[in-house]
Amino acid sequence: MMNLLLTFGEHPGWFFVVATLLPLLSFVLILLASALWCAGRAYRNTPGGAALFNLCGGEERGRTAAFVATGAIALAFVFSLVGCIRFSAQQHGFETAIKQHGKALHQIAAKIKETSGEAKEQLEAKARTEEEKLEDQEKRWADARKTNWQGHFDWLRISPKGIVDADSGTVLQLGFKIDSLSAIMFVMVTFIATLIHLFSIGYMSDELQPEVEDHQVHTAHGHLHRRGRFGRFFMYLSLFCFSMLNLVLADNLFQVFLSWELVGVCSYLLIGFYNERQSASNAANKAFITNRIGDAGFILGMLILWTHVGTFNMEELFQRVRAPLNDTHGAVEGVAGRIVRGNLDANNTTKAGQRFTIANDGSDVLLFPHRPSAHYHAIVPRVSDNPKPDQHGSMPYWMLVAAGLGIFLGCVGKSAQFPLQVWLPDAMEGPTPVSALIHAATMVAAGVYLVGRCYPLLTYDALLVIAYTGGITLFVAATIAVVMTDIKKVLAYSTVSQLGYMMLSLGVGGWVAGLFHLVTHAFFKALLFLGSGSVIHGCHHEQEMTKMGGLFPKMKITALTMLAGVLAICGIPLFTGWYSKDAILAQAFGFIYVHPQHLLLFLLPLATAGITAFYMSRMWLMTFTGKPRDEHVFDRAHESPWPMTVPLIVLGVCSVGIAWGWPVWDAEASFLEANVHHAQYPAILADFGHIDYSISEHHGEYWIAAKDEAQNERVFAYRNHHLAGNIAFVLVAIGIVFAGAIYWKRVLDPAEAKEQFPRLHAFLMDKWRFDRLYSVIFVRPCLTVGHWFAAFDLRAIDGVIHAVARSAMWVSKWDGLFDHYIIDGAVNLVGNTIYGMGARLRSVQTGFLRSYVLFLVLAAAGIFLALAYFVRMAMAG
Amino acid sequence: MTFAVGLNHFLLLGAFLFVCGAVCMATKRNAIGILMGVELVLNAATINFVAYAHYNPIFQVEGQVFALFVIVLAAAEAAIALAIVLNFYNNHTTVDVDTAEELKG
Repeated sequence: MMNLLLTFGEHPGWFFVVATLLPLLSFVLILLASALWCAGRAYRNTPGGAALFNLCGGEERGRTAAFVATGAIALAFVFSLVGCIRFSAQQHGFETAIKQHGKALHQIAAKIKETSGEAKEQLEAKARTEEEKLEDQEKRWADARKTNWQGHFDWLRISPKGIVDADSGTVLQLGFKIDSLSAIMFVMVTFIATLIHLFSIGYMSDELQPEVEDHQVHTAHGHLHRRGRFGRFFMYLSLFCFSMLNLVLADNLFQVFLSWELVGVCSYLLIGFYNERQSASNAANKAFITNRIGDAGFILGMLILWTHVGTFNMEELFQRVRAPLNDTHGAVEGVAGRIVRGNLDANNTTKAGQRFTIANDGSDVLLFPHRPSAHYHAIVPRVSDNPKPDQHGSMPYWMLVAAGLGIFLGCVGKSAQFPLQVWLPDAMEGPTPVSALIHAATMVAAGVYLVGRCYPLLTYDALLVIAYTGGITLFVAATIAVVMTDIKKVLAYSTVSQLGYMMLSLGVGGWVAGLFHLVTHAFFKALLFLGSGSVIHGCHHEQEMTKMGGLFPKMKITALTMLAGVLAICGIPLFTGWYSKDAILAQAFGFIYVHPQHLLLFLLPLATAGITAFYMSRMWLMTFTGKPRDEHVFDRAHESPWPMTVPLIVLGVCSVGIAWGWPVWDAEASFLEANVHHAQYPAILADFGHIDYSISEHHGEYWIAAKDEAQNERVFAYRNHHLAGNIAFVLVAIGIVFAGAIYWKRVLDPAEAKEQFPRLHAFLMDKWRFDRLYSVIFVRPCLTVGHWFAAFDLRAIDGVIHAVARSAMWVSKWDGLFDHYIIDGAVNLVGNTIYGMGARLRSVQTGFLRSYVLFLVLAAAGIFLALAYFVRMAMAG
Repeated sequence: MTFAVGLNHFLLLGAFLFVCGAVCMATKRNAIGILMGVELVLNAATINFVAYAHYNPIFQVEGQVFALFVIVLAAAEAAIALAIVLNFYNNHTTVDVDTAEELKG
């Protein structure tokens, strides 16, 4: 026990490893207990069997499983929180020291300019000591991160043919690496997952009954009756949480990929939880298959990187692709932190390698040594053909673009971006807590997280693709959400839209803003989904908003907490969404300021901010205000029990205050954002330093700022946060007022709008016809080709088989005839002959004594005659 | 010329008797008749033995001995056969052998 505590003391990164493994443990426990339970059930009347049966949960198995899973994830939350606090404390200590030294250095540098002579020399000496201290602190912080917050072990070793050696071959590793982003993600995921587990205990209570009636499945004997699956639900939730945590924990792409697939499987299992429903089964398949398309891209991207760089470890990949920051030996000047493009000169080859000329539009990318060699001084490096980790290498530029886009394709699938967004709305078929988990904390967050994680591998071209993908997604999804009437569908499209915001932000260099929005969005989206779950539960599984209305007095807690979520997603000041969404808009604004040709990347999110406000207000107003649209639903509606309302209240509080900093009204002062900012890669500053709105005196980036020349633009980008925020706020206000006029005050009639633009309405109701488009482009051609193959199978292959069968039958028939007539005939002939002879001889046996005597005499006479004949012959002879 | 009686005559007599006995056995339906036929056949054989004993010095003793055997056998046979016939009569109230057809194939 002491040893364990000491291990945690020395390697606090293990807090996160334990937090990851806890849900896995719960999954395995529930799985084993179910197996033992099934085995024990047959013997529960014997003493030993009864003990086993009760140990594995007894009759209350499902409830026990729920407690185990909830306990595990709650404990994981505690571990994550402790780990996160420890990490933040350590980071804060080092960063403060570094900041102080940097500030001092900055001030000294300013003084040096003003003074001269001896004082200048003194100042310069002081500056040198400050610089040494700064470097010392930086080195110590780097060492601490390496020893305390990282770890890995070899998992699989694939040796070359014929060589069995511990050190040779390729190695797949399992490992963990914690930075402030993953620490925050851990806390966020475990916290939300814990609340969702708690909520599920209430929401899924129907499944506790030994027999559940599914009203949506019709069989020949009425509704389907099946066993309750409470325990199974929590088992899947545990596996889901483990997968997601492992994904966040991973320090290499392979481990990410493993978790990636596990997440996919879990989503499949949970979306298809009511697998007897055709729609749920279809939705699960759709989600899984759509994700496969993305994963194919992910694998290709991974393989390209593996081929050219030779490692899956993300940190090593980044070190090789990006120029070193401050290494005097290996650095190529002026490009610190960037991807270095150039050309390989095939004519200038020496033993050391090929000559590499740096050019901004070159066809190759320089790969940097993993461990810079001391012998190497280069502005123009030589590149070897098969680079070892300590040598320069190169890879084609388009390959790096393809690798980045491949990884992004995986994220497109997981995060439901255009054009693979179609699965997410269908995923609403799963139980509502699952929707909340998928939409807030796990699956869709994985895509955005991975783009953020792999950021240094993405080239400018790939980032532009990401930005436009996000832009298109956010607009398309928001417009569809406007016309949806299913409360969960509205939320699903709003998720797609918000994920589009995050992708766009990452694409335009807003790494911090995008991931900040990921975290804040997780809270309010979980809240909104759980709120909708509470509404659906309260309305007895009615999801259509056209049958709701006026529910506010009946479910006040749900309504108020959901209102907090709606205001947060709209971006009303002081709610979480305001901090993160405005940061994204500011980032996009800064981007189009530098690149005016991409104006669309600002206009789309800006317009969508208004649309978002409209449809979210519409959802809330339609559900909770006005007159009830359906008396039947209204009369039976009720507030949900406490396991469901408590998570709502907690998440409601988080949706308001999770992003607060000091002062609260300053959009730049968010404490959470500052924490995310710590994890930012240097590569982002190298690529987008001039438009990173978050570089400001608040974050004290003096020393980087001093090195950057494009400070004016940055200051502009910083100031434009408020400008972009204000414009967005006006649009949001218009959206809310519009929604209020239509759905609250009922001044305008939405039916009229529907009648005036019937084709637009139908187009939006049809989800921009994406499903139909895919049906025409992919599904139907697939089916057609499938039918061809089926026909080929039926005609050609079955034909051959049938012909073979028929000829075999023909041969058998002749063989049968031969057997019957020739062989059996011969046997029968012998028998019949003997039988016939017997039958004929039978008449001789007359039974008359006299005839026997006659035969006797005749025989004797015959014998005598024969004897006489032979004697005569003998005598004559 | 004197008519010398030789071996052949005895053999002819034996043969004649044998044929008579056989025909008697084959045609008679009366069990007693059949027994009489049997006696004829046995006597035909005895005549042959005695004839050979007389005319062929090699069989002088054996012929006589066999003739005696046949006579003894005939006596024994007659005793047994008469017993059978008596039983047959008890069962069938007749001595017609054609009624004894249980052995018919």
